[in-house]
Amino acid sequence: MGATMTANSTAAKSTAAKSTAAVGQPLPLAETHTPADQAALSAVLADVHTRGVAAYPIGGGTSLDYGLTPATPGVGVILTSLDRVIDYPARDMTVTVEAGITLDALSKTLVAERQWLPVEGPQPHVATLGGLMASAWSGPRRYGYGTMRDYVIGMTAVDIRGVPFKAGGRVVKNVAGYDLCKLLTGSLGTLGVISQITLKTRPVPERTALLSCELPSWELAERLLAAVIDSRTTPVAVELLTGPLWREHPSLGMLTAGSMGRLVVALEGTAPEVDWMLGQLAAEWRELGVPTAHVIVGDAATKLWETLNEFAGFPDAPLVLKGSVPPSRVTEFIATLQTVDPQASIQAHAGNGIVIARFEQFSPGDISAAMLSRLRPAAQRSGGSVIVLSSNVEGWTRQAWWGGLGPAAPWMQKVKHEFDPGNLLNPGRFAYDSTGD
Amino acid sequence: MISPALLPVANELRRLLGDENVLAAHSDLVVYECDGFVIEKNCPDVVVFPRNTADVAQVVRLCNEHDVPFLPRGAGTSLAGGCLPVGGGVMIVFTRMKQILEINLRDRYAIVQPGVVNVWLTNALKGTGYHYAPDPSSQGACTIGGNVATNSGGPHTLKYGVTVNHTLGIEAVLADGSIVQFGGPVEDAPGLDLTGALVGSEGTLAIVTKIWVRLTKNPEGVRTLLGVFDSVEDATNSISEIIGAGIIPAALEMMDQGILAAVEAAFHFGFPLDAQAILLIEVDGLEAGLDSQRDEIIELCMKTGAREVRQARDAAERLLLWKSRKQAFGAVGRLSPSYCTQDGVVPRTKLPHILKRITEISAKYSIRIVNVFHAGDGNIHPILLFDERDAEQVSRVLKASDEILEECIASGGSVTGEHGIGVEKISLMNKLFTPDDLAAMTRLRMAFNPTGRLSPAKMLPTAGACGLEQVHPGRRAAM
Repeated sequence: MGATMTANSTAAKSTAAKSTAAVGQPLPLAETHTPADQAALSAVLADVHTRGVAAYPIGGGTSLDYGLTPATPGVGVILTSLDRVIDYPARDMTVTVEAGITLDALSKTLVAERQWLPVEGPQPHVATLGGLMASAWSGPRRYGYGTMRDYVIGMTAVDIRGVPFKAGGRVVKNVAGYDLCKLLTGSLGTLGVISQITLKTRPVPERTALLSCELPSWELAERLLAAVIDSRTTPVAVELLTGPLWREHPSLGMLTAGSMGRLVVALEGTAPEVDWMLGQLAAEWRELGVPTAHVIVGDAATKLWETLNEFAGFPDAPLVLKGSVPPSRVTEFIATLQTVDPQASIQAHAGNGIVIARFEQFSPGDISAAMLSRLRPAAQRSGGSVIVLSSNVEGWTRQAWWGGLGPAAPWMQKVKHEFDPGNLLNPGRFAYDSTGD
Repeated sequence: MISPALLPVANELRRLLGDENVLAAHSDLVVYECDGFVIEKNCPDVVVFPRNTADVAQVVRLCNEHDVPFLPRGAGTSLAGGCLPVGGGVMIVFTRMKQILEINLRDRYAIVQPGVVNVWLTNALKGTGYHYAPDPSSQGACTIGGNVATNSGGPHTLKYGVTVNHTLGIEAVLADGSIVQFGGPVEDAPGLDLTGALVGSEGTLAIVTKIWVRLTKNPEGVRTLLGVFDSVEDATNSISEIIGAGIIPAALEMMDQGILAAVEAAFHFGFPLDAQAILLIEVDGLEAGLDSQRDEIIELCMKTGAREVRQARDAAERLLLWKSRKQAFGAVGRLSPSYCTQDGVVPRTKLPHILKRITEISAKYSIRIVNVFHAGDGNIHPILLFDERDAEQVSRVLKASDEILEECIASGGSVTGEHGIGVEKISLMNKLFTPDDLAAMTRLRMAFNPTGRLSPAKMLPTAGACGLEQVHPGRRAAM
């Protein structure tokens, strides 16, 4: 890039480095900065803006494979030093933290007051809350608790000129002004760099248990899923699992020959509630012809949950896709995925229609074509979409990775243009069409 | 009178939509001069009733061609002047787009037109085991399109969330007349969450013509409690205790003594009229957990000084209790000729403080104030009682309102929890947000509504031609 960091007041509060090291690996970084606070972050961005170079915001670095690999060299802006808890009025059930706090550190703070943020992401010991918000990542519990957009009630972000702006506030109900929190959730750092977040928290449930059964056929699978949605119980996660990874998961036991996969349902609440739900759901399943339901609790449940939470973010997987379809089309979409790779390991947040597939056996030369000609049309037929979550295959086009945005595309580009007219924030990674990005 | 410049527009609208879907006579337009915020009034030049999305797009394109302002309106129940046609122009009223287009229980969504009245959807779902969760007190009249515009709440949003948490997608006619769908029945549409950004934008970014809403499973059981308190402070302390104990009630509402008398006179529930405050507490969920939650709540209330805690005996009593609460505003007519329902938010632990300040502000301005509000959310609704024929009283009401809202800001809260900014609270935006915050919001406005013809002079102090400084002195008293 040639440009060098000009001397300025941020030097004292910001760690600059020339080496790209391992942090920000897939990004073309000429230098990185680790601002110590929001003022330093502002100064870094102002400087980047003045120089007209690209800025790549980086949290824990766990989602850098998410989105296309950018070509424009730029500056890595690492948020991990912005990791303070600003305000935690536990009785108000809100917490204000800096965006670089890790999910584990946030959990540790909240659990002291028997509270939590029931939104999950892989590698919580390094993944940051800001990264979770920017990527709008979610886990199995989204069925029962919703996603990040349901918990962010306020935020501060720094725009590309280095100017901080906030939206929302610190109260749980607030309709003053535009909800820029929603706009920035899932914007992948392309509109501003999130520096501070206020969340609604929830009480930690007293008990969690998992109930699992094998699926003898896909036809029964859809009937079971429909029944779980309509059950008298109130599951918080409805996971449909199939493929090699789940065949021999230590917490699930070996699959019976002929079984298609498993259904794992998470139940949370007070001990009497969970006990009642375990019995009730097993009884509902028996009526549908499921002979055995396995209760998974304790260490086994913790281990399984870890896998459920980490599956989408496995760093060693050659290709991970995410499909979104109506919940009633989940089994049908899984069948389509299996025509492309019969050995794919698949986890569906089936209550929400989210299907994550980790491909194992595929021809790298053909996968982009399969995405465009088979998978995406299958998802779009029911109003859905399919995107790549991560891939070590080269040569993805924007169209193949994200799909088109349809008639909404120009409006997303207009928003992007208003917030970042020079296209300096995370250029080339997100779903905007090439004209706007 | 319609301004002469708008005559050709009115004629063209009649040609496009038919005479029966266009109003331009002053006597017909007066109904549309304001919404639930009655302090400022202005007639639109033309009112149109589109029958479908294409109609809306045609109207918008015509307004652009003639450089005429335009704005959407549902049932006009909004309380902050969001439907006030500043500068006149064309008002697009959605009362004829009132179809429930689809109900899909397997995939838990419904598709509705914006003119569908909130409670119609829940009525249509009776017997299915599902309902539409946002339940503003005006749900018998307000439309879902209006709910989307203001991101409406309601008593049960404490546990279930507000409108945006239940909106999966919207089809909208944008300010340039193009028709676009954002989101839809399937979650996680790629790209920016413009659905989330448009909900609550008070009709200033887009005109919503179709909405995909999430349906919520009915709880298996419900326990409704009435806590009676001899002091407001004890009642607010109980709220903190309950939520601090990790119980999230479905609803947690408070009424003070002032409102209780009017509600009792209207509905004859049997409220103890000597109580200083009552809490309406509802927990719902699995039967397996409800009795223990109820017992815990009763114990916490008694510990914090409740005189008694009663449980609604049956469904009928529960319904009457909720009717009393939701129609409490209507009962206020018994207390004074006019009233102004304010809307502010504080962290819920600051409720004792804000209620004390409201009492002081009431005394300072000699304006009687009664309270009925969403206590669990910290969302206060002080009701200021006055006589709108007395301009001097009106001026005191405005001052008292501002002082209450400024106290909300000082307490770490917000100037609106569910009613919106509209025209009423524009002048407070500068107190809640910095110029840089407002500039960021203006960028979003510029992306969607660069000409400002759509709902001019709303929400942002920088928006539109009518400067905010005119708003206060300009409050015309059609009174």
